[in-house]
Amino acid sequence: MSILETRDLTKRFGGLSAVNRVNVAIPEGAIYSIIGPNGAGKTTLFNCITGFYPPEEGEVLFMGKNLTGLSPDRITQRGISRTYQNIRLFPAMTALENILVGAHPRLRSNFADAILRTPRQRAEEKTALEKAMKLLEFVGLKGKGDLLARNLPYGEQRRLEMARALANEPKIILLDEPTAGMNPNESRTMMRFIENLREELGITILLIEHDMKVVMGISEFIYVLDFGQLIAQGSPEEIQRNPQVIESYLGRGAA
Amino acid sequence: MRDQLKASARSGLIFGVVIIFLMLFGLTKTLSDILGELFNLQSITRTGNSGGLMLLFALLAWWAGSRAAKEDKENWKAVLRNGAVSGLVIGSITALFTFLVGSLDGADIEMRTYLAQLDRPSVQFLLYGRSIIAGALMTFFIFLIFNLVGALASYILETRHAGGYLQKKYLQIKDRISGTSIVVRYKEHPQSKWIGYGILLAGTLLMPQFLGKYWNYAMGTVGIYVIMGLGLNIVVGLAGLLDLGYVAFFAIGAYTVGLLTAPAPIPIQWSFWPVLVISILLAAFAGILLGIPVLRMRGDYLAIVTLGFGEIIRVLIRSDMMSPYLGGPQGVRDIGGPSLFGISLSNERAYLYLIILGILLAILLTNFLQKSRVGRAWMAMREDETVAQAMGINTLYYKLMAFATGAAFAGFGGVLFAARNQYTGPADHTLMVSINVLSLLIVGGMGSIPGVMIGAFVLKGLPEVLRELDIYRLLVFGALLVIMMIIRPEGIWPAPRRRMELHESGLEEIPPDESLIGEEG
Amino acid sequence: MSKTLSQNTAGPINTFLIVQVIISILFIAFLTWRLYTVIDSGAYGPDTWLRFAISGLIIGSVYSVIAIGYTLVYGILFMINFAHGEVMMLGAFAGYFVFEALKSIPVEATGLSFLDSYQIVSVILAFLAGMFISAVVGYFLERIAYRPLRGAPRLIPLISAIGASIFLQNAAQVTFGPKRRTYINPASLQRSVGWRIPVAGEEVILTYTGVLTFVLSILLMVTLYILVMRTRYGRSMRAVAEDKQTAALMGINVDRVISNTFVISGVMGGAAGVMWGIHNGIIYHYVGFIPGLKAFTAAVLGGIGNIPGAMIGGMILGVVESLGPAALGIDFQLKDVIAFSILVLVLIFRPSGIIGEVLSEEKV
Repeated sequence: MSILETRDLTKRFGGLSAVNRVNVAIPEGAIYSIIGPNGAGKTTLFNCITGFYPPEEGEVLFMGKNLTGLSPDRITQRGISRTYQNIRLFPAMTALENILVGAHPRLRSNFADAILRTPRQRAEEKTALEKAMKLLEFVGLKGKGDLLARNLPYGEQRRLEMARALANEPKIILLDEPTAGMNPNESRTMMRFIENLREELGITILLIEHDMKVVMGISEFIYVLDFGQLIAQGSPEEIQRNPQVIESYLGRGAA
Repeated sequence: MRDQLKASARSGLIFGVVIIFLMLFGLTKTLSDILGELFNLQSITRTGNSGGLMLLFALLAWWAGSRAAKEDKENWKAVLRNGAVSGLVIGSITALFTFLVGSLDGADIEMRTYLAQLDRPSVQFLLYGRSIIAGALMTFFIFLIFNLVGALASYILETRHAGGYLQKKYLQIKDRISGTSIVVRYKEHPQSKWIGYGILLAGTLLMPQFLGKYWNYAMGTVGIYVIMGLGLNIVVGLAGLLDLGYVAFFAIGAYTVGLLTAPAPIPIQWSFWPVLVISILLAAFAGILLGIPVLRMRGDYLAIVTLGFGEIIRVLIRSDMMSPYLGGPQGVRDIGGPSLFGISLSNERAYLYLIILGILLAILLTNFLQKSRVGRAWMAMREDETVAQAMGINTLYYKLMAFATGAAFAGFGGVLFAARNQYTGPADHTLMVSINVLSLLIVGGMGSIPGVMIGAFVLKGLPEVLRELDIYRLLVFGALLVIMMIIRPEGIWPAPRRRMELHESGLEEIPPDESLIGEEG
Repeated sequence: MSKTLSQNTAGPINTFLIVQVIISILFIAFLTWRLYTVIDSGAYGPDTWLRFAISGLIIGSVYSVIAIGYTLVYGILFMINFAHGEVMMLGAFAGYFVFEALKSIPVEATGLSFLDSYQIVSVILAFLAGMFISAVVGYFLERIAYRPLRGAPRLIPLISAIGASIFLQNAAQVTFGPKRRTYINPASLQRSVGWRIPVAGEEVILTYTGVLTFVLSILLMVTLYILVMRTRYGRSMRAVAEDKQTAALMGINVDRVISNTFVISGVMGGAAGVMWGIHNGIIYHYVGFIPGLKAFTAAVLGGIGNIPGAMIGGMILGVVESLGPAALGIDFQLKDVIAFSILVLVLIFRPSGIIGEVLSEEKV
């Protein structure tokens, strides 16, 4: 059974369909990619899945349950995390605090706990902090927990954003161009890191990516969007051979 | 050279205009009196210290001259030339102004009806009690001469070739004043922090014993503002919601305690402590009630709506319609105070202790909240609301929480304020309360607890000290807000985080928020 | 951003919307019931209603002119120029001083003062002085209090604006004194003198000052609208509002356009101040504050950043505020409450105003 599925998902802005009757289905534990030229509706699709845009038609199913119409915070609580194409950390909070905010849905202590400093709250804070430290280490930012997010170098910001998404203990993580702005070397490291996510943490991954090397290298299955419509889908080899894709995407982009 | 002369003339022009405004505001007189008293100067006129006035003008001219000298520090001829130009401009502007004022006054026009600060004695004072021509000329020459003096002095003291021992000392002192502040140095030694806090706490607890009635009262006012500042700090500093209607919750606290403990207009007279709890809860509840519709709005709309709400509350408590229930313009009298084990605590000293207790509690709460899941959610919302929501934070809920907490603090402040005065009325609940609390936050440093306290002292304590400057308090204060925003937006004692934020990359903010839609691809 | 938020909290069954609709229906029902009982009781005759409506329209037209000042600045910088009410107040004072000065100049030919001998010239002079002073204040306000803060987080310029507002208000109080002053109008513009319209056996006075105020504000607004929509200068202003970087690349001097926007908004504020003085008669240092707040309400009501919106918003606010207390049968002291309640209601139910904001969404 697929962990995440969209059925005829449609989002319009004015008269324009940014996402038009898109059906995707991602099986558990897989790495799937969405590619497409600029303005094809990839990020809009992410925004529809995560609840930032209510779709006009169609629905989003997560582990068999309908997510359509839920607010973004509810959807995140169910176990969907995401990162952003242009990194969006909380710039004036420390790296550690960023991760702790990411862990928000997994913590229970409320207002009363906070002002009374209940034992429950203190115990929870302690474990949360330990987990956050582990995540920092996992993404290779050990010892940088007290730096403000905005003061980290670009690559580390990307990884911190990942750690923040992971703190939610998601079942699936949506990555919006994780290698944007990286050199080939960094891209390769990021690729390995993404594969690691699946191997070690068993998280399903859906990514938007422009770098064909990355896409072809790690994805098991690829969806191609153009003008909001799904024009092709298949394994990397099939996509590379698909004439329609070459024309609409590779042809335009590579030439 | 032309550029230099132009710049000097422009700097002179600015100084001249500012000095004219000082005269119009009547600040020249106040400042002259202070200076005159300080240096024990002789006065020729009876209305103000004219010796002080000359000193004031001389000092201003000195300053202007040293600024003009900065245009070209190396060449003494240029320094003198720039000083002279600046002096000529300031001198002629101010002399012309005094001449004009003097002649209008001489022509038997009652200036006072139009310009409140320029009554006949004041005009005489601006002319040093001499004739119009003589007074204006004196002003002119004071500015010219001391501009030159200031320019030369800064040349000698700051330029490498000139000066000597004197220059070295001067530069040292200058560095010490403008360079690393005490705050920064103190922050470098965290272990000394706890000792410092200990001393501060002991001092605070002993203070009321040594202060007289007046000062205990004045410090109590400062303390109440500290409590409210800490509350607003949660709303604005942590959660990033600009609330300009804070006074509404202050009023709710004050009126609840008033109505439930005073004999009129509602004949209920409960004892203080339960009413205190009720008032705080009621204020928090009002915060939620107002918050539900209002918190969906974006930031600056929120500011205006809360401002409007504060005005509504004020108009309502003044109105005849509500006066059978709220006492109308007369307000509520004979508000009951607290007592403990049968001993009445209704004196200034006891109130001050109560207020200190409240402050300690508020500090504790703020600290706990800041370092909890709730506090992190607030900060995340302040930083980026959309992403905060994507992190699973129910933003509306947390905004309401912040609003209610802030309101509770304000309600507490209102209770203390009303009970201490044994009275509350519409005049206590003007917009100025909101603005004062917000400003003390900004002056002290948003998000910083010591900052809130310093801010409260600066804003509420200093005016008590400088009584003679009373009418200028708000004037100076408004100007201070603008200046603070421009040169030190993080406040006097900023939260460490905020200082990092504003000083590592200047004032540049995060790249403009292209909303979540993001650019495709 | 809040738009996206309110969209996404909305599920397929939009509970918030339903609550909104129910509350609106109940509210409207309540209003109609109050209105019906008030009219039915015959407490006010038709003449009184007309009087209220006229005075509402006149005050509303002043609000509109002030509101345009907010809207222009907001449209271009996305900041609330909190000190705009004070700009208006200083304009009112400038007009006052011109009238006072002209009153004291005797003209031998007529045996009257200049003010009463050359009334039209006097009024024009007063308006010019008010507009000039307010424009100067607006210009320096931007240069000193706002320009250094461009690009800072949103809260910072707003606080600076609050500071500027407090400063100007108190500067006026200290300089001119705290007392209330009566505007001396030229002889033919005496307040309470005007055309008499017989309505239902009573006479309703349509004052000359009111007509002057109304006509002048319409004239000003139309001129401004043409300036913004039809001229090359207006085009550059709109370009800057749309996208500062691109406008700068196109060779537009962004700083100058912003400065000029403040000057224009000052001109409007100054004119509004003089109108306020001539029509209402009393000015003092606090006179700009409440009208300023209400004009902001009006701007939001019509959709901030939108010039026709400000006009319509001002008129509606003026009329509602003037008719409201009577229609609802409540105390006239509470008319400010009505104005601010409208603000709150509009922001809750239609945050983009009646006509809609002229803003693209990502700016918000």
